[in-house]
Amino acid sequence: MKDIADQEVIDIDDMDVEAFNDLATQQGWSDGLPLYVPTEDKVAKFVEMVRGDNRPYPPVPPRQVVPTIQALAANAVMAGCKPEYFPVVTAALRGVLDPEYNLHGTLATTHPCAPMVMVSGPIRKELNINCGSNCFGQGWQANATIGRALGLMLLNVAGAKPGEMDRSTQGNPAKFTFCFGENEEENPWTPYHVRRGFAPTDNVVTVMSGEAPHNLNDHGSTTGDGLLTTFANSMATPGANTIYGKGPCFVIIGPEHAATLARDGYTIESIQEELYKRSRVHASRISQENQDTYISTGHKPEGDWFTIVPTPQDIHVTVAGGPGKHSAFIPSFGGTTVACVRIA
Amino acid sequence: MRIYNPTFGLSAAGGEKIALKPVNWMTDAIALVSNSKPNARELLDGIRTKLGAVRAVTNIDFLAKNSASQPAPKDLLEKVAANYRGALLAIAD
Amino acid sequence: MIATETFKPLVLAQAKARKVEPRLIVVKHPIGGLNAEELRERIEAATKGLTEATGT
Repeated sequence: MKDIADQEVIDIDDMDVEAFNDLATQQGWSDGLPLYVPTEDKVAKFVEMVRGDNRPYPPVPPRQVVPTIQALAANAVMAGCKPEYFPVVTAALRGVLDPEYNLHGTLATTHPCAPMVMVSGPIRKELNINCGSNCFGQGWQANATIGRALGLMLLNVAGAKPGEMDRSTQGNPAKFTFCFGENEEENPWTPYHVRRGFAPTDNVVTVMSGEAPHNLNDHGSTTGDGLLTTFANSMATPGANTIYGKGPCFVIIGPEHAATLARDGYTIESIQEELYKRSRVHASRISQENQDTYISTGHKPEGDWFTIVPTPQDIHVTVAGGPGKHSAFIPSFGGTTVACVRIA
Repeated sequence: MRIYNPTFGLSAAGGEKIALKPVNWMTDAIALVSNSKPNARELLDGIRTKLGAVRAVTNIDFLAKNSASQPAPKDLLEKVAANYRGALLAIAD
Repeated sequence: MIATETFKPLVLAQAKARKVEPRLIVVKHPIGGLNAEELRERIEAATKGLTEATGT
């Protein structure tokens, strides 16, 4: 096949799925899992779902190409999305294209970050996006394929080929897919997207270049204060990029932990303040060479303590998951932002 | 069977390759630009010291990104373009 | 541009996207984490590459 990379539509011999997957692997289009075939008719169904969204896409770094909507749809088809998921995927793409998200840096870095995609609003129920038990895990087509579609776009459109443009030292299973819904129904506080200025009825995608979730297990504490002690000390890690990258992080509180914190009068703001103060890392836990690195890049300690994020507001807090005494800490790449985009 | 190419896009860069202007590395002002990763500054400093054996180094200056994880800010790029004929960049971990 | 051999593919891919042809000096990987003695070898190699590439 000649100059396949330069053709928008490619004529290929009729072939079964196995043969197509061989072709896709040979072309470098695959994340290693089986792909659906992005035929013209399937792509057309996806394109129809975003017909009302005529905003142009900027060049996608690092490869710096302006994608066509058909090329984006081809990735969503290959990922196994249903057509109705496609507006969520394109919103997520617009989120990672926010200049402050620093897509180039997040893709070319040696850090194991992956694009975390959180969905808020009524569309979670319409698309059956899992917000409850095992929300970060397997079993839901929407969660699995929306995150995967974004990953394929970053591979194929952005050019983040592992070992070439994607320089991650070890990678991260979340690079296959990392999408979940906010559990608004069991959130005792205001939903995250509303705190970001959207209406409760808006459908919103939030993206952050994050590590895989770190578990915050606390079965013993019966008070909000006790939970925050566990959370903060688990977050106080000198091995997270945020400690010198000066970026945001997420704390995704499980519904049972959230209920305890709300019962004891904690607000989102007071949780952010407490976690910020208590998650500082003492200098005695950081090698002198590493401290010198932090300081040389502008992160000076407060006395003998290094904060893990620049401000309390950089600790983004919301609720997801099901029954159980677990929450999650998701540190970011560091030099990035948490971007929210309304789903068109 | 016809399929859509998942990599297809229009190139944002111009069609022409960018030509580099000639540099006299023996006399011209040179910027040593660190990516702010550990040891980048030390590497460039060592090179500057060694260049001191064959040329004046008073017009060889250090510049750095604000953060290893973020792109070089526009004002830094403009400063390099305005004040230096050559730039030596360190890209690695 | 000084790059380690490990990061050379990244530099070339990014240069291709921007339609530039960087003059590349390639040294052994890594740079970070080396002590002063280990770094000296990289400095020697980079300086040698620079002098060869520029005729200084």
